[in-house]
Amino acid sequence: MTGAGSSRRMAALKLLRRRLIQAVPLMLGVVVINFVLIHLAPGSFLELMTAENQVSDPATIALLRKTYGLEDPTWLQLLKYIWALLHFDFGFSYRQNMPVIDAILLNLPATILLMVSSIALALAVGVAAGVVASMKVRTFWDTIVSVAAMFFFAAPSFWLGIMMIVLFAVKLGWLPVGGMATIGGTGGSIAGGAGGILDILHHLILPTLALGLFYAAIYTRVMRSSMLEVAQLDFVRTARAKGLSRNQVTVHHVLRNALLPVVTILGVQMGTVLAGSVVIESVFSWPGVGSLLFDSVSSRNYPVVLGIMVLGSLVVITANIAVDLVYMWLDPRIEIR
Amino acid sequence: MQRFAFLGRFARNRGALVGAVVILVVAFVAVTAPFFFPRDPLRIVGQPELWPGEDPDFLLGTDSLGRDILAMIVHGARATLLIGLFASAVATLIGVTIGAIAGYFGGWTDEIAMRSAELFQTIPNLIFVLTIVVILGSTLTNIVIAIGIVSWTPIARMTRAEFLSLRDREFVQACRSMGMGNAGIIVGEILPNALPPVIVLSSLVVAGAILFESAVSFLGLGDPNVASWGRLVGDGRQLIRSSWYICAIPGVAIMITVLCLNLIGDGLNDALNPKLRDR
Amino acid sequence: MALALEVKGLSTTLFTRRGEMKAVDGLSLSVAAGETVALVGESGCGKSLSALSIMRLLPDPPARIVGGEVRLNGRDLMPMPEEALLDIRGKEIGMIFQDPMSSLNPVATVATQIVEVLRSHTDMGRAAARARALELLELVGMPDAPRRLDEYPHRLSGGMCQRVMIAMAIACNPSVLIADEPTTALDVTVQAQVLALLKKLQADSGMAMIFITHDLGVVAETADRVVVMYAGRKVEEAGVDALFETPLHPYTAGLIGATPIPGAERAARLADIPGMVPALNALPPGCAFADRCPKVMDRCRQEIPLLTQPALGRLVACFAAETA
Repeated sequence: MTGAGSSRRMAALKLLRRRLIQAVPLMLGVVVINFVLIHLAPGSFLELMTAENQVSDPATIALLRKTYGLEDPTWLQLLKYIWALLHFDFGFSYRQNMPVIDAILLNLPATILLMVSSIALALAVGVAAGVVASMKVRTFWDTIVSVAAMFFFAAPSFWLGIMMIVLFAVKLGWLPVGGMATIGGTGGSIAGGAGGILDILHHLILPTLALGLFYAAIYTRVMRSSMLEVAQLDFVRTARAKGLSRNQVTVHHVLRNALLPVVTILGVQMGTVLAGSVVIESVFSWPGVGSLLFDSVSSRNYPVVLGIMVLGSLVVITANIAVDLVYMWLDPRIEIR
Repeated sequence: MQRFAFLGRFARNRGALVGAVVILVVAFVAVTAPFFFPRDPLRIVGQPELWPGEDPDFLLGTDSLGRDILAMIVHGARATLLIGLFASAVATLIGVTIGAIAGYFGGWTDEIAMRSAELFQTIPNLIFVLTIVVILGSTLTNIVIAIGIVSWTPIARMTRAEFLSLRDREFVQACRSMGMGNAGIIVGEILPNALPPVIVLSSLVVAGAILFESAVSFLGLGDPNVASWGRLVGDGRQLIRSSWYICAIPGVAIMITVLCLNLIGDGLNDALNPKLRDR
Repeated sequence: MALALEVKGLSTTLFTRRGEMKAVDGLSLSVAAGETVALVGESGCGKSLSALSIMRLLPDPPARIVGGEVRLNGRDLMPMPEEALLDIRGKEIGMIFQDPMSSLNPVATVATQIVEVLRSHTDMGRAAARARALELLELVGMPDAPRRLDEYPHRLSGGMCQRVMIAMAIACNPSVLIADEPTTALDVTVQAQVLALLKKLQADSGMAMIFITHDLGVVAETADRVVVMYAGRKVEEAGVDALFETPLHPYTAGLIGATPIPGAERAARLADIPGMVPALNALPPGCAFADRCPKVMDRCRQEIPLLTQPALGRLVACFAAETA
């Protein structure tokens, strides 16, 4: 146990280090794209910002000029911008009357909660449905699963969310229409104790379904074909020759190998899950980064928009590294150069 | 002959055939919209909030302002399909260019191309689109370009893989020994061979682009002069308690269109890889 | 000697889009305890499908057993329910395969895979099974066995993987071992080691062995008796010495002619059998070998020759051999 175990731990650390090093140019790229976007904005960025935020106080404008160093040459501006971001200084949001970073961090937990619950749902449903479909391949159940996956893969998540609100909240009254907590309720926060947590979970159900079912559909399709593919491999025949039952073979031999492509796709999709939550948050008035983004987009509050893009990318990179480590844990063949 | 075999294989896939027929119908409706509904679809024509079937003049009912939903759906098809097609075209153009150069030249060119693909996969795509749209303005062109910019990475990866496997084949080496330039080999020799699987992917990107655009429009950031389906869903959002059909109908239209495009993509894929189907 | 395994009239058909194909057609063979029977033929002649049919491990669809008996120590496996077979596979019949690298689960350790077979057929606890797994690895001559227990297959060589496969196959002391081209994918030196290992294990335990191969050189080294298959049918059966001395079927003679003889002075160019095994869905009405046969007669193209017994312990299905 010890020899192989510790060498794998070493490999995991190596992977972690390499991914962290790779993350640096990636983040730099995000920042540069951000910077380019600011400079592509028609008209003076400052003018737009001050006009949108009804800032006319000359002292504030001077402060803004200095903050954004608008008189410097472009390269210096970029360097200053990077320097500022390195200190998580994304500027100040007048709308929230707090630094941009604080405004974002205030909203980030709700978004991450929604992301995590949606991914968990998508994985659970997708893997289960894919396994069932592959074990009952070309039967009634396989067809049902495939058709359902096709529909959820094509339905726009925001529309699915609205339709679920109509059914489960408006018509049946089982679940809340939106928000993260009952207004005037006992808590609606962790501080509200068990009741508060239950209340949040209650509010979480519909947004999770709306966001997660699309990904569940993808994972179902991938899992099904992956299971069928792995079932053809030689080692599955070996497992059967050992006298294992079909279910044992599926669970102990096919499943883990078949999960690998699902995990790969999961990693690639982290960015889209985060982006998808923006729309879902808008549908369900979920108080996350998406709501903040939407508000900032409508009010042209650029610093917040750009800050969300940078921090969002950071979340995606972190999630990707986590997924890589999971993949490595699942597949011992991954060797680090 | 080969082409007929391809079509035959495609047509044997019932789902793909149904998808193709439906898309043709949608495209036909989109093209002929001005003929059947010659007047501005956003004009008020009757009582507000008429349910579908309530008034035979408005088969799909009217919205909160009394506009004909059917007319809006039919005209919206134009916007939705066009945006989907053009965004996919932009994504394909970017993706094929970058993928071809990366796969053909390899080395550090490849490294840079793949790192930038990774970069664009890292930035949450819809957030990026919204940022571009909000900074550069909600015009149709900006939306199309923005969606193209976030959708090119899979196409680039596939093109690159195809180029990697093709660039050392005999026919390419023959061209090289005859003194043909890189550009000539890339465009004239390798690209035609690499294109079929890329086209399949492009058809799937159309579906993705339609979903993207509908999300942007739903959030109210679409081109204000265009009534795409996503915007219709967004417009109907306030009335879900009384008249949820206003939201439901355009959503169904999006879903059917995307579904059929996916079916076509699957069919093309199967037709290109007949081996996979026999299993 | 008691017959460990007796196969009678085993027939397996592939049901495909292009029609039904008789992949195994009325195969009969028997193996006694301690005996090795080689099943020989070119690829595509139904050897592997025969082995999988005996284990009832066919991919269904498309393959299905349509007739015959497989008696293991007297009990017929064919009518048994699947659950009963689970107690036979891996316990009473062990099997090893052609490509050891791909025959092991890449995401499970060697120990896990050996322990699994022990735990499903015995009431051993986890620790006992692990200890037994180590014993087995040492028994099959795995170098540095204690360290290999926790390795994953991709870290092992082909020969080591095959040793793991053998360890799993003999873990429960089976009465029959089916080895499907166990050395084909290995280097020549490793081949010899694996063959020697199998022989030693057989000598120690007295298990019966069915050895599937296309390599007559391997047959000469390992087998007591040989069954030659062509296009799904048995065409000749004989003791190993008799077969090499006087092959009766022209196909057997062709196979022997195509085998390099070790020690022979730069064997004259190997005589190849012209042509290929016919497609199973396009078998001729007569003898399937007729088109490639140097001794073909008119009768061969009209009738399928049946097995006859020209001498004690010998069987052959050939009109030319009958008349000779």
